[in-house]
Amino acid sequence: MSEMPKGKMQHLDEMTCLMYIERQLDRARGLEVSAHTQECDACRTLLGALERESRLLTRAMMEEEEPLPSRLAQFQERARNSMQWIWGLVFGLAATGVYALYTGYVQPWQQQLEQAGFGGSNLLGLLIFQGAFWKGWQSMITLLEVLAMLTLAGIGVAFFRRRIRRGSALALIFAGFCAVLTLPTTATASETRKGESARVSAEETIKGDIFLFGDRVKVDGTVEGDVFLFGHDAIVNGHVQGDVFGFAQTLQVDGKVDGNIRAFTNTLTIRGTVAKNVLTFDERVNLESAGKIGGSLTVFIDYLNLEGSLGRDLLVFGKHVTISGKVGRGIREKGSELTITASGEVGGPIHYEGDTPAEVSPSAKLASPVEFKKLVHNREYRDAHYYVWRVIWTAAFVLFGMVLFLLAPRFARETISAAELYGAPIGLGILVFFGVPIAAVIACVTVVGMPLGIFTIGFWLLMLCCAELIVGAVVGNWILGRATDTWGMIGRMALGFVIVRIVYTPLAQVHVLGLLAGLGIWMWGMGAISLAIYRRFQPVIAPGMPSAPFTPPMPPNTTVGGALPA
Amino acid sequence: MNAPGTTEPTEVITRARAGDAEAWGELYREFAPAIFRFCRRALPTREDAEDATMDIFTKLRDKLGQYDTTRSFSAWLYKVAANHCWDMLRRRKIRQDKETDDLENVPLEHPDPSQLERLMEQRTSEEVRKALEKLGARARMALVMRYYSDMSYDEIADALGLRRAFVGVVLLRARHELRQALEGSSALAAGGAS
Repeated sequence: MSEMPKGKMQHLDEMTCLMYIERQLDRARGLEVSAHTQECDACRTLLGALERESRLLTRAMMEEEEPLPSRLAQFQERARNSMQWIWGLVFGLAATGVYALYTGYVQPWQQQLEQAGFGGSNLLGLLIFQGAFWKGWQSMITLLEVLAMLTLAGIGVAFFRRRIRRGSALALIFAGFCAVLTLPTTATASETRKGESARVSAEETIKGDIFLFGDRVKVDGTVEGDVFLFGHDAIVNGHVQGDVFGFAQTLQVDGKVDGNIRAFTNTLTIRGTVAKNVLTFDERVNLESAGKIGGSLTVFIDYLNLEGSLGRDLLVFGKHVTISGKVGRGIREKGSELTITASGEVGGPIHYEGDTPAEVSPSAKLASPVEFKKLVHNREYRDAHYYVWRVIWTAAFVLFGMVLFLLAPRFARETISAAELYGAPIGLGILVFFGVPIAAVIACVTVVGMPLGIFTIGFWLLMLCCAELIVGAVVGNWILGRATDTWGMIGRMALGFVIVRIVYTPLAQVHVLGLLAGLGIWMWGMGAISLAIYRRFQPVIAPGMPSAPFTPPMPPNTTVGGALPA
Repeated sequence: MNAPGTTEPTEVITRARAGDAEAWGELYREFAPAIFRFCRRALPTREDAEDATMDIFTKLRDKLGQYDTTRSFSAWLYKVAANHCWDMLRRRKIRQDKETDDLENVPLEHPDPSQLERLMEQRTSEEVRKALEKLGARARMALVMRYYSDMSYDEIADALGLRRAFVGVVLLRARHELRQALEGSSALAAGGAS
């Protein structure tokens, strides 16, 4: 008991009184409190007031002040439950779509282009679809097939879920995964060698892939799979039946490679034979007179000296290129200089975009003259006007967003909430970003569907414009926390949008990163909008859902007013 | 913790656990209004409460297998709801600095009993609800857990991540905050005893 300032009598403190009415005191202490309140009016009044306060609190909280929102009344867990696996379906369908797109359109076009003599000269096709650099693209396509199949399997499992116990379903899935995972392990075998000087000796034959790590790495023997070289100096003297991947200061290929070469090196020298394509990032590349490449050569370099023989196209992003050997098909160069000497021979068109016109010897054998285009360096981002316009566009977008948020604040809030789910909107965004234009084009093919197709494309473009605003609003929420009013939401959107723009502006200058960041923002935002729309139009499965009447389902049954010890 | 005259929907729960969508719908219809009201009291905006209610029921579907049928379903449901709401608030860092004060050093001042009695007589439920909205997240959460869903001190301590001994302190502080909000001044809460 505490000494109270206004009287000489010792009173109970409020905490003790609260613990007493909440039945949190032990029996002995409870009896003490009970006895005290028999004699002390003030403490008895305090106990009564606290009890009244408890009752008032309970009553205030239990009373119905607003009906169950229609959104909740219509919310049906059956529909929500479908969302659990629908994202798997979405990813699967997206993967299937990409695969179908590849097999249905890209592959035939690529074949047609190749037949028309353009094969290998297209960087995108070369990088992505011919697998010139990363062999794994082929695996990716296989992966897409696997994903599509897994999706079907998932749907099957969901369908039979009622018939098979959850444990069985899980076991089935895991067994499926294990089966998928065991397939590649039986198909491939790899070996790793490390050391100061790691090598495959001349008399050796390696049955699978081999990884060589060392200061000096060397392949003198035969490798029936791929060779991965990591070292200062790498030499391939032997026979590689697969591909060669080189990460070295110098890479020298004097032997025979039946596959492709993909290399990150300072200097690449080829004196031997490469049956397929070469793609490399170097300072200097030498294809010496004895060297021969059966496919195309794609180089990102400072200096290229081509004295040997190239079967197909040459694609160059570099500074100084000298052709003294034979190029079977065309040349496409973007760089500073191009020199074709008297012994140079080019079997196809030459497109050269550079700082100075090409120097071509009159004795050179060319299928067609060099098509020169003066290189215009894109220095837009160094210009002050660029930034002025960026600011103007940013302000315009913020204004656009503000109008939209004011017109539909509730929908904007729902969209931002949807965006904060991250996984779901991004997954849906991928589908919407790729799927909606395809669907719109298909709709446009039929005369009846043309208005629908045009409307869909228009709506898709609107979503594209709004995507960055939604992402901006999420970023704003990260910084300032979620807003409770519309203007707070607009403020966060504006702040976040400006931050996204500031980050994205320099990032956009880096081609691949800029593209990926842009795609990420669009897909995220579009997915969030789509998800919010989806939630708005969720089907009502049980129309008889009560929304207004209040029936207290779980009263608090507080301990207020509990039996006081005598 | 059930309403008078209502029993635990054991059979419905069993069917819902087995994947019966209709049973799930029944559970939703029975408990959604109460959970929405819980969220409405605990969270700052109506939209938050709507989102939270949907999230709780979505979460519930996955967690239903973990429910111990020998215990009260509604108590378990409120626990799930309380954890979800508190996680939501914590993620948004709504908790204010004053709420992270050292609970052991909280001064527990004695109110004037008669003045408190008068205040409680005069205030209406609506005024209390409005005052509740002005409280800090933890204070409001604690009051809602205790006086709306009748959670025990152990359950409150568990949900808020507190030691059990401090639950009473949090509740008392919450009451003081509420009185201040009702009065518009701190005079009552800080007043001395007669």
